[in-house]
Amino acid sequence: MLIIENLTKIYDNGFMALDNINLEIPDGQFVAIIGLSGSGKSTLLRCINRLIDPTKGRIIWNGIDITAATDDELRQIRRRIGMIFQQFNLVKRSSVITNVMAGRLGYINPLFSLVNYFPPQEKARALAALERVGIADKAYNRASALSGGQQQRVGIARTLMQEPEMLLADEPVASLDPATSHSVMKYLELLNQEDGLTILCSLHFLSLARAYSDRVIALKDGKLEFDGLPQEIDNERFKMIYGEDAVEVEIH
Amino acid sequence: MNTNPPRSRSALRRLLLLLAAAAILVIFSYGWTVTRIDLSVPQEPQRQRNVGNALRELLSPNVFTQDYEVLTATAPFTIGCPDAFEASPVVASDQPYIVVEPACGRANEVVTVRGYNFAANGLARVNWIAADGERRVRRVVGASGDNFITDGSGGFVVQVEVPRIRGSAGQTHTIEVQGRFPVGLPRFSDTTGLVIEKMVETIFLALIATAVSILPSAILSFFAAQNLMHPVRTPLGGLLLSFTLLPLGWLLGTLLLGQIGLLALNVGRLSGVSGATTAGLLLLGAVVSTRKLGGNAVMPPGFNPRALLNAVLFAVIATAALGLIGGLGLLFGSTFRDGLLGYVGALLGSLGSLIELAIVPIGGIIGAFTLASIGSTLTRQALKHTSAAMSHVLGGILGALAGMILLGLTASIGLTAAWLSLLTPVAAAGMASAILPLLYRRFVHRPENPTTTDRAIRTVLSWSGAAAAFVVAFLLLNVRQALVEGALPPQTVAFEALGIKFYAYVVQAMLIGAVLGGVAGAMAGTKANFPIGSVLYTVTRTLLNALRSIEPLIMGLVFVIWVGIGPFAGVLALALHSVASLGKLYSEQIENIDAGPIEALQSTGANRLQTIMYAVVPQIIPPYIAFTMYRWDINVRMSTIIGFVGGGGIGFLLQQQINLLRYRDAGVAVLAIAIVVSILDYASASIRERYI
Ligand SMILES: Nc1ncnc2c1ncn2[C@@H]1O[C@H](COP(=O)(O)OP(=O)(O)O)[C@@H](O)[C@H]1O
Ligand SMILES: [Mg+2]
Repeated sequence: MLIIENLTKIYDNGFMALDNINLEIPDGQFVAIIGLSGSGKSTLLRCINRLIDPTKGRIIWNGIDITAATDDELRQIRRRIGMIFQQFNLVKRSSVITNVMAGRLGYINPLFSLVNYFPPQEKARALAALERVGIADKAYNRASALSGGQQQRVGIARTLMQEPEMLLADEPVASLDPATSHSVMKYLELLNQEDGLTILCSLHFLSLARAYSDRVIALKDGKLEFDGLPQEIDNERFKMIYGEDAVEVEIH
Repeated sequence: MNTNPPRSRSALRRLLLLLAAAAILVIFSYGWTVTRIDLSVPQEPQRQRNVGNALRELLSPNVFTQDYEVLTATAPFTIGCPDAFEASPVVASDQPYIVVEPACGRANEVVTVRGYNFAANGLARVNWIAADGERRVRRVVGASGDNFITDGSGGFVVQVEVPRIRGSAGQTHTIEVQGRFPVGLPRFSDTTGLVIEKMVETIFLALIATAVSILPSAILSFFAAQNLMHPVRTPLGGLLLSFTLLPLGWLLGTLLLGQIGLLALNVGRLSGVSGATTAGLLLLGAVVSTRKLGGNAVMPPGFNPRALLNAVLFAVIATAALGLIGGLGLLFGSTFRDGLLGYVGALLGSLGSLIELAIVPIGGIIGAFTLASIGSTLTRQALKHTSAAMSHVLGGILGALAGMILLGLTASIGLTAAWLSLLTPVAAAGMASAILPLLYRRFVHRPENPTTTDRAIRTVLSWSGAAAAFVVAFLLLNVRQALVEGALPPQTVAFEALGIKFYAYVVQAMLIGAVLGGVAGAMAGTKANFPIGSVLYTVTRTLLNALRSIEPLIMGLVFVIWVGIGPFAGVLALALHSVASLGKLYSEQIENIDAGPIEALQSTGANRLQTIMYAVVPQIIPPYIAFTMYRWDINVRMSTIIGFVGGGGIGFLLQQQINLLRYRDAGVAVLAIAIVVSILDYASASIRERYI
């Protein structure tokens, strides 16, 4: 269970990106976060694993207060929370398998990392993760040699190395074409259904949220605008979230 | 109506432009005077002749020499043609010989000299040897110099005038032709040999200086990269505790780790390869056991004896390994003294003695950081759960201790040189800059959502606090005297403890530090998030910029005093300057990397070091290679002139040649520099192209 209480984020320049957000997310839920760009989706996701430190409020996950964790505790917590990104955030010059194994760093003795050593079982684990997302044959290619969809699958394999209980996905398909988008979303669905991961996924398109999520959260100017089932979003709600002029587009 | 304001504005602009032009004119005229430009000087004939000669010689570098053989042939000549004269018969042979026609004559008559069997196209001259043996050169008719040139088959026909020599009538003189002919191919001159030798020295000087600077500047570059350092913040309590533990850690480190290191060094040196191998295996075993300790198990947060043991073990192993390497280096150095292995032996031997010298301080540093990190890890939990009031009390105590140590340190540095005593007021100002804004936040106004005004107030408060502390420390410590009179602070000993002398001056600084640190710490509390990264960034950048602004030639002067004239001084000067310059260049490359992978690895729970190893390092390797090449290129240029201040290399030779007015030799050195620099320029550019 993830509980977010009175979460507020004010950036150093004084901009309030999140305004008193309250949420309760039970384990195993697939939550879509929608909203216009600039509405605070990325900020919300990054506050959960504290890539951004919240200004106020608490985030409690399985009884642990993430917002109060010390650096060491935070690293322990982060190991259990995977994250994938719109820009994939791979090291482009490194090989695919190195990128994937890097997801395991939180478990590895830091002294090994100084000499760039991974125990053999971690290499096997990385190959298995790549197998799962269907690109084991690319393991020794440079990450930059892969297509966008493949790179995002490498990103997913990297989080698999963490053996996560929760996955934060920040617009994971926004840089991909529609067909590839669906294939990546299918992997997230698989992780949600097979591994029971809680998934928080910000999305640009409502149609994707409708197709994959159990629950939709909408942000507008840093405030919680809507929290409910995907099918509850009718035309009126849609215009509240996206503005009067918006028209819903389908993505197939 | 509408056109009026723009027109007035353009008038104003025109006026400003005019003023600017006038100002530029004034500045340039002043510059003209200051640099004493006088166009009549270069036109003085004597100076023009001098520079012409010098340039002519510089442009005729004596790169090559040639061996010559001298061929000589003679024929008799009788002055005045007596009646009974009969020319002696000429015997043709395959040796060089000459035929003179007529074989007698009066002064000022022209005679023809034919030569045979000399070497082709060589220089030759005619000598007139009188009866008394006096030899004078006879210029051949129509020639401008003493020499003429033989034809393609080694022969010649020239005409000379019979000289007028008093009382020589009837005497028989000798006409001699001497030819100078090249033997074999031209070869490099001795100067060239010397220049090549010095050029090799120069290139290696630059290479070593560059190589030595890579590691320090790579390490410094991480501290000088804003994107890495800016987000690094740490709870003040842990930081202050770590800082106060540094001296204790240093002491323990020098005593325990330093001795372990020395022991390992002696094991390496005395027991030879087999003993060192055993010791190395033991170390390896220890490493393997830490691997088990590191394990994959989920570590419970909070007190973690494994992590603690790991840290201590790592410190011991690192020091011992370094000692062992040093010992082996010494052993190697004393075993291999000759031949190619001798070079390697000398290198390893001096590395070994460097480690021998440094192992105790290194142990101290490792000890200091190990204890500091253990301290902050152990107390992180405790500090987290302290009450607010307690956090301020603790903050006050720890802040006072840390402030005391910091200012004690700066004051001790200030004891070494007058201007370094400025460090203490600067550090005091840094501490004090936090106090007023904290007071303001606590007692006046704590904005939820700071506005521009709030931030402006903070800035003003922070600067005024800093200024006040600076002035107070400046006056109390009598820095004025140091600055104006260059006098060091008085070395009166206040008391002695633990064998360390505490000077009154240092104690005073420590008191100031205790007060400022105590107040700031108490105001902030141990839970405050201290921007340690920004502080380190600022200190590193300032240091690098200051170092970079000192020209290597000036550094060279200092190092020549320290280690004497020679390439070693040059290596040190160039290396130091390269550290500063590469540190800055490298850090800019870090600031240019893609931040995405850093964020991604942080989100997996990797620690800071791991994030750097896997997200930053792969991205910076290509630009680091490129900039290292670039720096080598610069270092070769600089090493060609570092010799002018005694730093070794070709510059030293060039300076000597110039001082001895041997411009043709200097020309060789100049030519060599031009060739090497342009080759390297090209090579480094093409290597850089490949990586950028
Ligand atoms: N580091 C930052 N400093 C200041 N403002 C920021 C920063 N990051 C994001 N913002 C602002 O916060 C708002 C929310 O940003 P973000 O969370 O990235 O929105 P979204 O992901 O929904 O597009 C935006 O208006 C953005 O400009
Ligand atoms: Mg976003």
